[in-house]
Amino acid sequence: MSKEVLSVKNLNMHYETLSGDVHAVKDVSFSVKEGESFGLVGESGCGKTSVAMSLLQLQADNAKISSGSIVLDGVELVGMNESELRKVRWDGISIVFQGAMNAWNPVVKVGEQIREAIREHYPEKSKAENTEKIESLFKMVGLDAAVIDRFPHELSGGMKQRAVIALALSCDPKVVIADEPTTALDVVIQDQILNEIKKVQELLGLSLIYISHDIAVIAEMTDQMAVMYAGSIVEIGPTDKVFSTPKHAYTRLLLESTPSVVGEKKKLRSLDGEPPSLINEITGCSFSPRCPDPSDDCKNQNKEMKLVEIEPGHFADNCCVDCG
Amino acid sequence: MNENIEQDLQKQLRKEAIRRNWNLFRQSKLGMIGLYIVIFFLFLALLQPFLFITGIWNKGVYDPVVGYEAIKDTLLVVECPKEYPTEKYESMKDCPGEGEINVKRLYLAPGVEVGDYYEAFIQPAPPSSRHLLGTDSLGRDVFSQIMEGSQVAFVLGLLSATLGVGISTILGTIAAFFGGRVDAYLMRQSDLILMLPSLPLLFIISAFAELKVWHLAVVLGVLGGLGGSVITIKSQALQVKVKPFVDSARITGGSRWRIMFSHVLPNVAPLALLFMVFSVTGAIASESVLSFLGLLNIDMSWGIMIYLSQTDGFIFSGLEFWWLILPAGLAVTLLAGGFYLVGRGLDDVFNPRLRKR
Amino acid sequence: MGEYIIKRTLQMTVVFFLFLVFSYLLFNAIPGNAFSNLLLNPDLPPDAYNRVLELYGLDKPLFERLQLYIVNFFKGDFGYSYKSFPKTPIELISERLPRTLMLFAIVNIVSFYTGFFIGKILAWRRGSQSETWITLTSVFSYTVFYPWFALMMLWVFGYKLGWLPIGKFLYPEKWYDAPFDSDIVFSSMIKFTIVVSLIQFAAYLATRGIESLSSRRNLRFASLIAIFIGSYFYWNNGAALIKKPYAADIAYHMILPVMVVTIVAFAGTALLTRTTMMEVLKEDYILTARAKGISQKRIRDRHAARTALLPVVTSFIFTIVTIIDGSVLTEQIFSWPGMGQLLLQSVLEEDIPVAMACFSFVGVFALVAHLLADISYSYLDPRIRIKSQG
Repeated sequence: MSKEVLSVKNLNMHYETLSGDVHAVKDVSFSVKEGESFGLVGESGCGKTSVAMSLLQLQADNAKISSGSIVLDGVELVGMNESELRKVRWDGISIVFQGAMNAWNPVVKVGEQIREAIREHYPEKSKAENTEKIESLFKMVGLDAAVIDRFPHELSGGMKQRAVIALALSCDPKVVIADEPTTALDVVIQDQILNEIKKVQELLGLSLIYISHDIAVIAEMTDQMAVMYAGSIVEIGPTDKVFSTPKHAYTRLLLESTPSVVGEKKKLRSLDGEPPSLINEITGCSFSPRCPDPSDDCKNQNKEMKLVEIEPGHFADNCCVDCG
Repeated sequence: MNENIEQDLQKQLRKEAIRRNWNLFRQSKLGMIGLYIVIFFLFLALLQPFLFITGIWNKGVYDPVVGYEAIKDTLLVVECPKEYPTEKYESMKDCPGEGEINVKRLYLAPGVEVGDYYEAFIQPAPPSSRHLLGTDSLGRDVFSQIMEGSQVAFVLGLLSATLGVGISTILGTIAAFFGGRVDAYLMRQSDLILMLPSLPLLFIISAFAELKVWHLAVVLGVLGGLGGSVITIKSQALQVKVKPFVDSARITGGSRWRIMFSHVLPNVAPLALLFMVFSVTGAIASESVLSFLGLLNIDMSWGIMIYLSQTDGFIFSGLEFWWLILPAGLAVTLLAGGFYLVGRGLDDVFNPRLRKR
Repeated sequence: MGEYIIKRTLQMTVVFFLFLVFSYLLFNAIPGNAFSNLLLNPDLPPDAYNRVLELYGLDKPLFERLQLYIVNFFKGDFGYSYKSFPKTPIELISERLPRTLMLFAIVNIVSFYTGFFIGKILAWRRGSQSETWITLTSVFSYTVFYPWFALMMLWVFGYKLGWLPIGKFLYPEKWYDAPFDSDIVFSSMIKFTIVVSLIQFAAYLATRGIESLSSRRNLRFASLIAIFIGSYFYWNNGAALIKKPYAADIAYHMILPVMVVTIVAFAGTALLTRTTMMEVLKEDYILTARAKGISQKRIRDRHAARTALLPVVTSFIFTIVTIIDGSVLTEQIFSWPGMGQLLLQSVLEEDIPVAMACFSFVGVFALVAHLLADISYSYLDPRIRIKSQG
C-alpha cells in the first residue's frame, strides 16, 4: 500500500464579493496516494478550480479559507506564510493551468520561463545543467529542443500545452494538478496531450490530480475520482466503481448525458436547470431542485448533506442516494 | 403594445446598468474624491449668480470684474530709526510694524506727523468677513473671482471636451467602418495634428484672432478631436465591428449607417466618455496657461488671476499676499485633478481588466 | 519588420510635407508682418515699406513663396532672422538647442525612472492606504497648474531659502574671463551624458545573459561604481579640468528647473504605469509565475513590469516629441535661453523665418520620434516583431 502524498480534510473556502459571500468549496475532503491519479469532475462553476487554487494556496485576494487542512507530504499548507509557500509551490505541487495560451508571458522566451522556475528552487545548478534538463523534459513531452529559444506566440496551441506540461515537471514535483489541460484544444491534439500526460505520469510515478468537466476523460485518466456539485463532493470512490455503480442521482445523470461510442445506443438524458447560486447558504440537499425524481429526504430538505460509505472506499452523499 | 413593453424593458435595463455601474464607481475611493471636488466647484459656479439674483451680494461691490470696495484701515504714523536694533524693532524689516506706516512714505500727504493716525485704503485687502478671500489690487473680491473662474472652467472644459470627443468618436468610427482611403486620410490627419507643437500653435492662433472663451473651446475641441484620440477610438471600434451582434445586424439587413450609429457607437461610448473626462483636465490647463501668458481676451479666469498677481509682483512677495496666489492656483489644480480622478474611477468601471478580481 | 518601417517612413514623409504646407499657410495668415511698424513712421519715404518687402521677397504671390519655401527647406536654407540680422535661423537654433536638450534629457531620464518605479509600486500595493496617498500626490503633481507651481518653487528655493539661483543658466560674472563659449561647455556636457548612458546601457546588455541572479546584480552595481570613478577622472584631467568650474555653474543652475519639471513630469508616467501594470497583473501568466514559487518582487519587476513597459515606453517617446513644446513655458519661467524661448519670442515678434524654422524643426523632431516609437515598440514586443516579418 503506497502512502498518502496529499490529503485534504474538510476544506471550506469562500469568496467575499460585493453581493455577499460565495461559498465555492464546502467541506471537501479527499486524499491522493503516491503514483495515483485522482479525478475531479463537475459542471463549470462547481468549485473544481477553486479547489485546485486552494491546494496551491493561490486563491484570489478576496478568497478566504475558513477552515480545513491541506497536508502535502506531512506538511500543513493552510496558514503557511508566503515565503514558505514559495518553496512548496512547483517543487512540491505544480499545476497545468487551463488555457495554456495565457499561461506564458508573451515577451519572455519559453525556455527562459522554465529556467526561471528551476533557478528559483535549485539556484546551485549551472546554466548548462538547466538547459539539459529542459531539453530532456521537452523530449519527454515530444517537443523539439529548439523550442527553448522561441517566444510563446511562435508555438501552436498543442505545442504550448506540451511546453506547459514540461514546465509543470521542471522541478520534479510530487503532485501535479492538471486543471482542464485540454479544454481549448481540438480533439486530435487533446488525445495526444492526454496520452502524453498519462505516459509521463507512469514514467515518473507522479501523483496526478486531474480536473475536468468531461467525465469520459476522467474515466480514461484516473484511478480514483470525485464528483463535485455546488461546491461539495457528492460522490467519491474508485473510478471503475463510480462508473459501474453510480449512487448519486447527479453522477448518474452526468454519465447518462455523455454519449458513448462503444456499446449499445442509448438516449442521452439532459439535465434541466442551472446549478444553485453559491451566495446563499444551502441547507439540505443542494441538488434537490434539479433532481428528476427526488426522494422524500431530498425533496423535504430534512437531511444534512453527508457522505456515507456505500461499499468499501466508495462514498456518496446521503440525501440524494435514493433518488430516481 | 408590444413596443411599449419593449421600451419599458429597455428603460429598466438601462436603469439597472446605471445602478450597477454607480455601485462599482462608488467602490473607487479616488473616483469619489474626484466627484466631490467637481461637485464642490460646480456648486461654487452656480452659487455666484444665485447670490447676485437674490441680492445677497451687491453687484457693485462683488462683481468679479468691475466690482470695487475700498477697505479703510487706520495706521499709526511712525518714523523708522536709522540704526537697529532698537527697543521696538529688531531689524529694518520690522519697521513699520503691524498697523503702522512709515512717515517717509506719506510724502504725498503733507501735514501728517509722527504719532498721528492715518486713514489708508488697503488694496489688496486681506480676508475678512465681508470678503472671504480678500480683495485684489484693484479692490475686487477674490472669492467672487474664483466663482467666476469656475464658471469659465466648466463652460470651457465641458464644451471643448464634448466637441472634441464628438468629433473623434464619429471620425474614429467612420475610419474603422469604411477603411481604405477614408481611414488613410484620417490617420494621416491625426499624425499631422500630433506633430504640431500645441502651445506655439495656440500662440499663433491667438496672434490673428482675439480669443474668447467660446473660440478657445472650439479650437481646443477641434485640435483634441482630430488628434490621437481618433486613433484610439478607431481601434476600439474595430474591435466592436467584428463582434457577432454587428454581423447579425448586417445579416438582418441593417444599413451601414444604421449599424454604425445604433450598434457600434453605443459600444464605443464608454471609452469616449472616458476621453471626455480626461480632456476636460487638459482644456482647463490650456486655458490657464494661455491666460497666464496674457494671450486670451477674457475678463476673468483663474489663469488671469495668477497672471495679474504675477505681473503685479505679488507672487514673489511670498505668502504675505497668499489670498492672491494660492486660491486661484489651487482651484485650477484641484478641478483639473478632480476631473482626472473621476476619469480614473470611470476607467475602473468600464475597463473590466482593471477591476479587482 | 523592415517593410513595416519603410511603410511608416513613407507615411510620415507625406505627413511632414503636409505639415510644412500647413505651417506656412498658418504663419501667412497672421495679419501684418515684421515690417508693419515701418508704416507708422511718417518720416520714411512712402515706397520704403514696399522696397523692404521686395527686398525680402514678401511681394511675390503666395503660391510662389510656398514653393520657394519648400525648395529652400530641403536645401537647408531658412533665410535670415528679421530681428537678429544677419544671423540665420539655423545659427540661432544650433545655439539654443543644446541648452534645451541638456535640460530636458536629464528631466526625461529622471522622471521616466521615478515615474515607472512609483507606478510599479502603486499597482503592486493596490487597495492599501499608501496607494491612495501616493496616487493622490501623483494626480496633484500631474494636474498642478504648472506655471504657478514653478513660480512657487522658484520663490521657495530661489528667494526664500536662497539655495538655488533664480533663473538664467549661468552667472555672467563668472564667465567674463572664460576661455570659451558656454555652448562649448554645453556640448561637452551633452557628450559626457550620452557616453555615460551608453556605457550604462552596454553594461546592462552585457550582464543580461548571466544565470546567477546575485552575481548579475553585483556586476551591475560594480559597473555603476566604475562609471562614477571614470567620470571623476574625466572631469579632473586634461581639457575637461578647465571646463569643470563652468560646467559646475551650469549644472548648479539646472537643479531647480530639473527638479520642478521632474515633479510635474514623473506623475504622467507613474499613473500610466499603474494602469497598464494593473491590467498585466490580471493576466494568467502572473498566476503561473506565482505558482512557480517565484518571489513577489521578481514577478513584479520581471513579469509584470516588463510587459507593462511597452505602452509606457511608447508614451514616453511621445513625450519626447513635446519636449520643445513643453520647454516654452519652463524656459519662459526660468529665463532659460533655449529653443522654447526662441520659439515664443519669434512668434510674438513675428520673426517669421525663425519661427518657421523652429516650427519645422519641431516637425522633424516629432517625425523622428514617432518613427522611433514605432521601431522600439516593434522591437520590445516580440508579437509585433514577428507579425510584421511574416
